[in-house]
Amino acid sequence: MLLPRFDYHMPMTLAEACSILETYGDEARVLAGGTDLLVDLKTGSIRAKHLVSLERLELSGVTQEQERIRIGSRSTVADLLSEDVVQRHLQPLMDGARSLGSPQIRNRATIGGNLCSARPAADLIPPLLVLDAEVYLSGPKGDRAMTLDAFILGPGRTALAPGEILEQIVVDLPRAAGGGAYLKLGVRRAMEIARVGVAVFLSLEEDGKTIRIARIALGAVGPRPIRALNAERVLTGSRADARTWEEAARTAVEHAAPRTCHEFKCKAVAVLTRRALEQAWRKAVGNGHA
Amino acid sequence: MREHEITLHVNGVEHRLWVPAHRSLIQVLREDLALTGAKHGCGVGDCGACTVLMDGRPVNSCLVLAVQADGHEILTIEGLARGSRLAPLQESFVEKGAIQCGFCTPGMILSAKALLDRVPNPEEPEVRNALAGNLCRCTGYQKIVEAVLDAAAKTREEDL
Amino acid sequence: MKEDFQVIGSRVPRKDAPDKATGSARFIDDLDVSGRLYGALLQSPLAHARIVGMDTSRAERLRGVRSVLTARDIPPVKYGVSPARYDEHVLAVEKVRYVGDEVAAVAAVDLETAMEAVSLIRVDYDPLPYVLDPFEAMAEGAPRIHEQAPGNICVEVHQEFGDVEAVLESCDVIRTGCLKSKNQDGGFLEPHGSLAVYDLQGHLTLYSSTQAPHYVQRTVAMVTGLPMSRVHVIKPYVGGGFGPKAEATPLDLCASLLSMRTGRPVKMNYTREQVFLHSRARHRFFHEMSIGALKDGTLKALRHQCVLDGGAYASFGIATAYYAGSLLGGPYRLPNMKYDGYRVYTNKPACGAQRGHGGVHARALFERQLDLLADDLGMDPVELRLRNVMNAGETTCNQLNMSSLGMRECIEAVAAKSGWKQKRGALPRGKGIGMACGFFVSGAGYPIYRSETPHSTIRLEVHEDGGGVTVYTGSAEIGQGSDTVVAMIAAEALGISYSDVLVRSGSTDYSLDLGAYSSRQTLMTGHAVKRAAEDAKRKILEAVADVLVVDPQGLDIRRGVVETDGTPLDFAASRMRYVQEHRGWTDHPTGDRLTFREAARLAFIRNGPVVGLGSYKPPPLGGEYKGAAVGTSPAFGCSAQVAEVTVDLETGQVVVESVTGAHDCGRAINLTQVEAQMQGAMSMGLGEALFEEVRFDETGRVANPTLGEYRIPTILDMPKIECVVVESDEPNGPYGAKEVGEGAIMPTIPAILNAVKDAVGSAPDELPLHPQRVLGVIMRDGESSGS
Repeated sequence: MLLPRFDYHMPMTLAEACSILETYGDEARVLAGGTDLLVDLKTGSIRAKHLVSLERLELSGVTQEQERIRIGSRSTVADLLSEDVVQRHLQPLMDGARSLGSPQIRNRATIGGNLCSARPAADLIPPLLVLDAEVYLSGPKGDRAMTLDAFILGPGRTALAPGEILEQIVVDLPRAAGGGAYLKLGVRRAMEIARVGVAVFLSLEEDGKTIRIARIALGAVGPRPIRALNAERVLTGSRADARTWEEAARTAVEHAAPRTCHEFKCKAVAVLTRRALEQAWRKAVGNGHA
Repeated sequence: MREHEITLHVNGVEHRLWVPAHRSLIQVLREDLALTGAKHGCGVGDCGACTVLMDGRPVNSCLVLAVQADGHEILTIEGLARGSRLAPLQESFVEKGAIQCGFCTPGMILSAKALLDRVPNPEEPEVRNALAGNLCRCTGYQKIVEAVLDAAAKTREEDL
Repeated sequence: MKEDFQVIGSRVPRKDAPDKATGSARFIDDLDVSGRLYGALLQSPLAHARIVGMDTSRAERLRGVRSVLTARDIPPVKYGVSPARYDEHVLAVEKVRYVGDEVAAVAAVDLETAMEAVSLIRVDYDPLPYVLDPFEAMAEGAPRIHEQAPGNICVEVHQEFGDVEAVLESCDVIRTGCLKSKNQDGGFLEPHGSLAVYDLQGHLTLYSSTQAPHYVQRTVAMVTGLPMSRVHVIKPYVGGGFGPKAEATPLDLCASLLSMRTGRPVKMNYTREQVFLHSRARHRFFHEMSIGALKDGTLKALRHQCVLDGGAYASFGIATAYYAGSLLGGPYRLPNMKYDGYRVYTNKPACGAQRGHGGVHARALFERQLDLLADDLGMDPVELRLRNVMNAGETTCNQLNMSSLGMRECIEAVAAKSGWKQKRGALPRGKGIGMACGFFVSGAGYPIYRSETPHSTIRLEVHEDGGGVTVYTGSAEIGQGSDTVVAMIAAEALGISYSDVLVRSGSTDYSLDLGAYSSRQTLMTGHAVKRAAEDAKRKILEAVADVLVVDPQGLDIRRGVVETDGTPLDFAASRMRYVQEHRGWTDHPTGDRLTFREAARLAFIRNGPVVGLGSYKPPPLGGEYKGAAVGTSPAFGCSAQVAEVTVDLETGQVVVESVTGAHDCGRAINLTQVEAQMQGAMSMGLGEALFEEVRFDETGRVANPTLGEYRIPTILDMPKIECVVVESDEPNGPYGAKEVGEGAIMPTIPAILNAVKDAVGSAPDELPLHPQRVLGVIMRDGESSGS
């Protein structure tokens, strides 16, 4: 398959990149890993006369600064999987990264790309939502930050203003006695786009039995991945047991958009939510004793 | 239309080329460097037939622009054998019957090589996970797994 | 009884494996020729429409365009697969019949220009009503897709053997059921491609990613008007075929015509999306069966109706419609069988032959119904099969002769190896074990065009210096290993080593061979090879006998030397002449036997070139009834499989944990290759059972034309497979060999269906078994059982 022709820019600084983007507006696109963009250009679902490559910018790497974990937007999915900090503390993100695409795709796809493509079934968005991630944007008018929840607006739509680039993703280091998971329902066991995706993060009180913090995010059951706030309310302060998981799972279904979620998908949301909670809880208990 | 000067290190050989930005790595490998081992299966990263190693990691060369590969080390299937001496993976694929139509084979072998270079003693699930991005319609994958494990054992023996 | 073979039955590595392992094997897109143009197609965006006007002028004027082809530039020759149903034009004449139907073709200096030119062709369509469903297509008032096919019936098959209705009435149990499947795809990794070179002598050389060079040659000759002797079809390495590559494609025809018009070579490939639009793959089937049995489990009668969704053209579909019925005559004794089949035109891509042809889904329903009958009778499913299995030598009600049939051995092997007895009935809910059987032809008994032609011919040339032989064959190595089988049979028959046999294949210039389809080449090409090798051997030994003055009857060649029946062979003088002739060589023949090398050299010097010729044509087969030809074969391979599954009771997801398969291939020429074909067939069956379906949107366009959305199994989806090879020593096969490639797919879908039923209580009536469908059955059964 052929790519259409375009001009290729390799800015040396973030400011330069933003400036080029601003200049060309709708005709320009950021190129990071390319596993979404190049496919879209080949199929014609996106048109761009200018590609702005991030390859010369220092935007990769995962660093931990006290209680904050900073992930450069150009970190590849494979990079995330090999980062100690991610393995130890950000289980939902590990699960999401592991389930994304294929080894080849993971070696190129970036966390920034996954967020900015903003596909309803994106594998990294629900995990980052339950980690309460913030996104740091850099643009011609300066820098700003917002929650990931506010950043994702709809299918393929983000809050990026003209000329803005996603620079990094920041999450708080989860407290001890915290655990998470991301479960995905597909058809095959590899190279699948989620039909339903559920991410969960739990952190327990000192007693190890009461839920202190609970976050649930659903993917592929609406125009954008969302936090299942009603279900979170069921969990917070409740006892960590099977009945609680059941109730939370049932409640989570309320957040699935009726248009996309027919009976089968709704049932899958409940099942995956319950299972993800069970897994997250087991991890949290394990971490609490560590 | 603007062309970019790039340097590709392919199979240990440096190539300096002028390419327009919209040409993919697989096009440049196949058409400019006559390395036709990487295959066009789908063009969109669904099948892995175009897999090459970039800095030791498997990538779908149909989704890498040639300009993005500038300065990087590329290993294609043609870079494995030493003259007529096949690499252990290639020998194992031949001996174990892991090759039928052969179209997926170059990509499959390279994905396996990337694994064995990192994990010289893999278990079967690791082998399967490493090859999850390479589709095969002919073999059912069983003899491919056997070949990779065989090559791993052979290589460990040689190292001893 | 193990024979003393030198090569047959071993695991020698394939001839083509090293080339494929090093990337030096050339497939169609790896070929290039200087001065070549690139071709591109304009395809219809509408499912059914009349072409009211076309303007190609802007395309013709585009810089770099060398030729624009539409129907008016081509002789209006209809083509297809079955001569009785030639219903296709290269480029649409008057109307288009599916989204993807070819309307125009362009040749330009490069692909980008060709595609731009295609976008500049303006076509005025007058949309017509269209049908995407075969039942709607058959209904009163449906739009007619082909003038000559009222009711959109492409072919109707009505066959009855015995008296089904009467016998059904006397049965103790009858099970009626249906099975619906979906359009599927070959899923081969290599898209079709063609490179046509029309030269100044008026010869056309067409390189094509095809399974059937001979059929392509015929079609191209017929459509272009070139004599057959001026059309040379050459198959490079092919990245999988599985059936959809067994006929001439629009690429073959357009590239040829464009090359003839421009005088330049023309290269054309399909994108992956175009592969789906072209299809010629698995039909969509609607099967309904009633099977009647006695209470002791004896099968008595089958009433079977099938509607095949055939798409816009006939392709291989006539044969498909017949196979769907005929391949149920065995492997069990079934004295009464009635089949009514309807292949229907719809405004979708044409369906054709795909591994197992029309038999796969028919077998799936039949085997599933057998399990239900077993339930009714309180019998173990294995027991029910064994009770009814035919023996070698028996003939089915539709006159298919099971000259060898290791069905019983296959069933017993998989039952034993899988631990059937221990597991059946003992697994917890959500886990299941199921089994099934199947069989398939070892080559269709008749070619697709009515003819007395040999099916396979071979030229085996002995090298003048005696070092080896080259086998020239038109047969098609498409990954299944036929070149290796050819070499092994030649080596065995000639008495020389496998490494001394060179195979050149896949070109119509080498020899006539009908190609790789209906699982025919091991048996049919194999026979021709054996005969050619024996012919060459006889010629060599006659020359030796002549020169050394002995009786040729007492001579043989084995292990690369001439053996006698005890008569001493005085070849001292001959050896001396050979050594003198090869002064300077360092590997002179030694030892007390005359080597093949010397014997072949001697024969060449005595008589000139030594060429062994071989030819094979099956004897007349089958009954006298209409359609009797389809299903006939000189031999039938058979297979049994046991599948174990885990069903996630909450999501409906099915995981196949293991498959144990046994296949009777008559004689394994190459054991590794037989296992490899079994494993590949099972993986395709698993994919078709669980994941694969081609979806269409309301406009008739393929909605999932990608390998991401059309899901063939990945390595993580395939379980461990246990293979057992059964050898029944087929009398009609070379060295007892018969097929494996297609028979081995037959049991897979029903083994999985039966395992799912074992796991959750019932299996869906519709394929594929994706989670939603399976969950639906689980929940429906849960409701009806009041839980």
